Amino acid sequence: MASRTPVEDAIRQKITAELKPTTLEIYNDSHLHAHHAPMQGVTSKETHFRLVITSEAFRSKLQPARHRLVYSLLKDELAQEGGIHALQLRTMTPEEEAKRRAQETEVD
Amino acid sequence: MSSIEEISNVEAWEKHVSSLHPSTLLIVSFHAPWAAPCAQMATVLSTLASEYPVTEPPSTSWVKINAEELSDISEAYNVTAVPFLVLIRNGELLETVSGSSAVKVRNAIESHASKTGTAAASHNGSAAAVKNGEAEVTTEEDPEKKKQELFRRLGDLVKAAPVMLFMKGTPSEPKCGFSRQMVGILRDNAIKYGFFNILADDEVRQGLKEFADWPTFPQLWVDGELVGGLDIVKEELESNPDFLKPYSVKANGEGSAVAS
Repeated sequence: MASRTPVEDAIRQKITAELKPTTLEIYNDSHLHAHHAPMQGVTSKETHFRLVITSEAFRSKLQPARHRLVYSLLKDELAQEGGIHALQLRTMTPEEEAKRRAQETEVD
Repeated sequence: MSSIEEISNVEAWEKHVSSLHPSTLLIVSFHAPWAAPCAQMATVLSTLASEYPVTEPPSTSWVKINAEELSDISEAYNVTAVPFLVLIRNGELLETVSGSSAVKVRNAIESHASKTGTAAASHNGSAAAVKNGEAEVTTEEDPEKKKQELFRRLGDLVKAAPVMLFMKGTPSEPKCGFSRQMVGILRDNAIKYGFFNILADDEVRQGLKEFADWPTFPQLWVDGELVGGLDIVKEELESNPDFLKPYSVKANGEGSAVAS
């Protein structure tokens, strides 16, 4: 039986294989945008994604370079008709993730 | 590199028109400062103008006119909406373009500018044109040259302002949630920026994706370098509140509150 989330599967498989992330969260926000004009006539339920990725591969790279790395892995999905329309990324190294977690759990 | 002169009264207009060489293409842009599409057109036109060298006699002359203030002139050219472009040569009205299609404007200017063969590389162009028995120099360039040309134009466009936002829609009418948020962030930080509506120009939309090696919009460029999209801008500001401060127009008790 074919998967009902082929795009999400492809994202997970490619990011995992290439970046060996310690954290990979995939959020499908498509339903939030389904009513937007550019989405009329689009049947795919996998158009808008938000990814949170922690990987050593991002070390010493500035944000644009990190995002370009992820974009290049998902080149096909971004290019295809009815594929990924929007991609939000949070890219961190393990240290950055730890710092962020610490900030978030700070009380008062 | 030509630039656009603002004509502020009728006498200046008449003086300018009468001083023109008969072969000069006069490009008149009618605008209204409160209309967002005019700001975008101003960016498009100044980028275009910069591609035309100042020659002797001048091959092109670029002027802009506030349509409401100089209503006599607007009426003479039937300017009913802005932005509005009028092309004149030797006192003869060649063409008008109403509205904000950057493609239409560019095509109109380029086709009339090259008719006298004064555009760059005119010799090759006119030689080929004579061979074909055609009077017009059309784009017979191969695709590689066209792409180089486009990339050169994009290289200028991303530097049109110190902070440039390529977005879907305009700041007053964003056509996408991410573009809207980006505009909001820039406004909250009182950042002075130029913008380009990529929905109005498909060539720039697709070309910029390749030029920037970046598949999505909005795109924020600072000093000719790509900073990134909404997510990156948000994160940069989170980790560094002074990010973009140099481009802010907040009155810190110094300088003017409103930049022109």
